[in-house]
Amino acid sequence: MSNVPAIDRASRWKTIRSEVGRAVGALVIALFVAFVVVLLTSKAPFEALNVLLTQPISKPRTIGLWIDDVAKLTVTGLAFSLVFQARQFAMGVQGQVYIGALAASYVALSPLGASWAGIPLGITAAMLAGAVYGFLPGIAKAKLGANEIVSSLMLNYIAIELCNYLVRTSLPKPQPGVLTTDNFPASAVFPPLIPNTRIDLGIILALIAVLVVWFALYRTSWGLKLRLVGHNSRFAEYSGIKATFIMVSAMTAAGALGGLLGSMFVQGQTYGKLTVLFEGGLAFEGILVAIVARSRPLAVPIVALFYAYLRQGAQLMNIRTDVPAEVIGIVTAIIILLVSSSFSLNFITRLFKRGPAPAVAAVTAAGGTAK
Amino acid sequence: MMELIVTVFSAAFFVTVIRTTTPLLLATLGGLIADLSGALNVALEGMMLIGCLTAVIVSVYAPWYVAVAAGLGAGALLGLIMAFFAYRLKADIILVGFAINILAAGGTVFALALATGGDKGTSINLQSKAIPAVDLSFLSAIPGVGPILTAFLSGHSVLSWVAAFLVFAVWYFLYRTPWGLWLRGVGEYPAAPEAAGIPVNKVRTWSLIVSGALAGLGGAQLAMFNYVGFTRDMTAGRGFIALGAVLLGARHPIGALLAALLFGAFEALAVVMPGLFNDVPAELIRMIPFVVTIAALVLFSIRAQRALAMRGVK
Repeated sequence: MSNVPAIDRASRWKTIRSEVGRAVGALVIALFVAFVVVLLTSKAPFEALNVLLTQPISKPRTIGLWIDDVAKLTVTGLAFSLVFQARQFAMGVQGQVYIGALAASYVALSPLGASWAGIPLGITAAMLAGAVYGFLPGIAKAKLGANEIVSSLMLNYIAIELCNYLVRTSLPKPQPGVLTTDNFPASAVFPPLIPNTRIDLGIILALIAVLVVWFALYRTSWGLKLRLVGHNSRFAEYSGIKATFIMVSAMTAAGALGGLLGSMFVQGQTYGKLTVLFEGGLAFEGILVAIVARSRPLAVPIVALFYAYLRQGAQLMNIRTDVPAEVIGIVTAIIILLVSSSFSLNFITRLFKRGPAPAVAAVTAAGGTAK
Repeated sequence: MMELIVTVFSAAFFVTVIRTTTPLLLATLGGLIADLSGALNVALEGMMLIGCLTAVIVSVYAPWYVAVAAGLGAGALLGLIMAFFAYRLKADIILVGFAINILAAGGTVFALALATGGDKGTSINLQSKAIPAVDLSFLSAIPGVGPILTAFLSGHSVLSWVAAFLVFAVWYFLYRTPWGLWLRGVGEYPAAPEAAGIPVNKVRTWSLIVSGALAGLGGAQLAMFNYVGFTRDMTAGRGFIALGAVLLGARHPIGALLAALLFGAFEALAVVMPGLFNDVPAELIRMIPFVVTIAALVLFSIRAQRALAMRGVK
């Protein structure tokens, strides 16, 4: 009996080692493909690669950009981890970000925003709004069986258009015609932790969120039920767990995280105001973060740290060299494909053992993705 | 309001509806085939987008039909990639689908920047071609109904006629050929066809390839007829709407046609409304297809649940 925890610990280390190995292997392959693409297309490929891999830590300002991205990727990664652990494929983080940002902006631009309540109330409003927006596809699935993927994606588009509309019409603007609101009062903007960088309260909120989600998933009965539902919802149902309730609550909690991310966007140092399309597709990057982290909350910030570095490197490469930042989309897609599949380090050898046909398929796959 | 009614019942509006419906219908048929084979193809959006770009770039150097075929081929290739990762490497098909969407969103902008020498997002610099419209003005010679027939039937894209034919072809394939039966069997209960010696993975792979090809064809129509040229994210959620249309169409080709027509009509409404109502904000009009999709999804789900309940009672 006494060696059970030891075995447990040993197997856990083994899992962690093999997961890290897979993630690193996938990253190396993806970077290699990206490198080949850059090599074929750029006039100065080595300079581009140098910018991608070294520039994000070159200046305090770029480090700030990196850490800011880490905070945001962590929160969206957590939101996706929560729904993935319950085996739901709600893709609504993007919409929740916009709705949360709208709620935070209404608070920040109201008289309350100029008081001490600007920050806590803005965050709360954003999380509530996001939770409601996450609840909608959840309840539609639980009560009606409406496919949560389709409904959450549609809600994303609706939220974006709603944000465009409200920014253009009803929210206060510095001058007519611009698609941003007034700057928020200083009391409603997250204070920077290090002056003159974008490192602000957001990174602390992100780390708190990591701990809260970890605690909820691994130290509460709700979390146990949620993971059971994710493993086998029928078994969970038989053992007396209300699978639909768990499902809806997971999607609502993930919605609150999405809302939090919205408030981090508009109340953070980056913006300090609401503009249209501020999110720039970051919310969906949470899919990659959650998949590589195997939906484990404690692994999410670590993955975010690496991935944010790549994203910032790509942005700098976009500005300083002739390689567009979108090359990172290729890297992202390959990492998701490899990590979510039964890919492992000896996968290549297995592929060749099976005969030429799969190898040809692999080549076409690689050729197709590199296109 | 009166103008709206007049507009909606005009031949020009009908032609607009067919135009907006065609890419959706092709993608919906693609989604239907994947769905019946047991795979929710969330990558329709990305497949369409890559179909758009491939068609636009190829059309600069080749005749329009080659470009359309290239768009179709690009979609089919993506379907093959999806099948490879989902069935051979056992990845979750939804994650694979989203990986393809991410690849499409970034990859198209990247590829376009290369093809145009620095243009990020639009293909203004490219002399891309359009799919020709089918001219049926000779129908006017028919006495009486001739001019009306011409007004309604002439001026559609070649691909609109292809799509209409494909509705029938897909129906015939699914319900009148053994392979269609295999496909539906694989989607319904894979163990049974497996036991009967049907190559389940082969059927699934081909379904995804065809699904991708149809989505790519839809992309070609979008980028070579509805709009001529490529813009970043030009599919604007049509692939996801098509997923909704599959469900709304009760997973049947005729249903898919009707659902695609419904969404197409609302999209056409969104096209003509800004000219009629200046006071309705454009953002709210652009929301229409998405709101309609959710409403349709909810209504369909209620109906499906009621049907299940009735079967349970019996």
